[in-house]
Amino acid sequence: MSVRVEPRVAEMTGPASPPRRNGELVFEAPWQGRAFGMAVGVVERLGLEWTAFQQRLIAEIAAHPETPYYDCWVAALERLVLDSGTVTAEEMAAAGAPVRVNAP
Amino acid sequence: MSAPDDDHHHPAPLSPMEVRARALEALLTEKGLIPEGFIDAVVSAYEDDIGPMNGAKVVARAWVDPAYKARLLANGSAAIAELGFGGPEGEHLVVVENTPTVHNVVVCTLCSCYPWPVLGLPPNWYKSAPYRARIVREPRVLLREMGLDLQATVAIRVWDSSAEVRYMVLPERPAGTEGKSEAELAALVTRDAMIGTARP
Repeated sequence: MSVRVEPRVAEMTGPASPPRRNGELVFEAPWQGRAFGMAVGVVERLGLEWTAFQQRLIAEIAAHPETPYYDCWVAALERLVLDSGTVTAEEMAAAGAPVRVNAP
Repeated sequence: MSAPDDDHHHPAPLSPMEVRARALEALLTEKGLIPEGFIDAVVSAYEDDIGPMNGAKVVARAWVDPAYKARLLANGSAAIAELGFGGPEGEHLVVVENTPTVHNVVVCTLCSCYPWPVLGLPPNWYKSAPYRARIVREPRVLLREMGLDLQATVAIRVWDSSAEVRYMVLPERPAGTEGKSEAELAALVTRDAMIGTARP
């Protein structure tokens, strides 16, 4: 399966840019790597612009500055698939992922 | 304590966020959005296709192969593509060579253009306003603050990237590395050395 790097992902800077060391992605646990791949892949499969995810990630980080980066990443992806109508809140709850209602 | 084979199978408790991530993955898989092997393919693309190791391999090849170095300086994109690396079409990679009398450093004063196919993910300071302004105005002072103290006899050239042209620095091969293999040489080359804010 051939996957191309999306420049908008590689070029993220500021608070939304992923943890990295000497230019390489750093995952503290395997699930973080899977969460990274899941978001990048799902955004592409849904035909969305990367900014649709990035904006939600920035909002999550701004709302929860003390929360670890990939926790915000997963929350942003949950938000994106809900907002885009890909999944419903009921499906999310049934799958065991409680939907967090964020403060504005 | 445990056999080596067991090392990857500690039944560590899952963190709450890992539980949520797994639930989301299961749900999106059920929706047909995540084909078998898709996530692994995405992650390996990002781990293998971006990263300073690509640039470091280019530098090490140039250090050991004068003909390659000549091609690299003449046409960076083409020579880098020879090693299987490259970015989106339409972007030209230009390689600038450090010498005993010239030191090169790369910036993007307008935005954050960056040759990620060879340098990986940009450091946060690359896009910071102080770096973008000061590396142009007072490069020698800023480089010294960043840990690179250049002699007054070394001229500094600052290269401003754009969406069309992106630059990578070819550092000087460190003294005393004559016996090293190409792979050992590549390991000496850091991201910052290829931006020009450090030396290998």
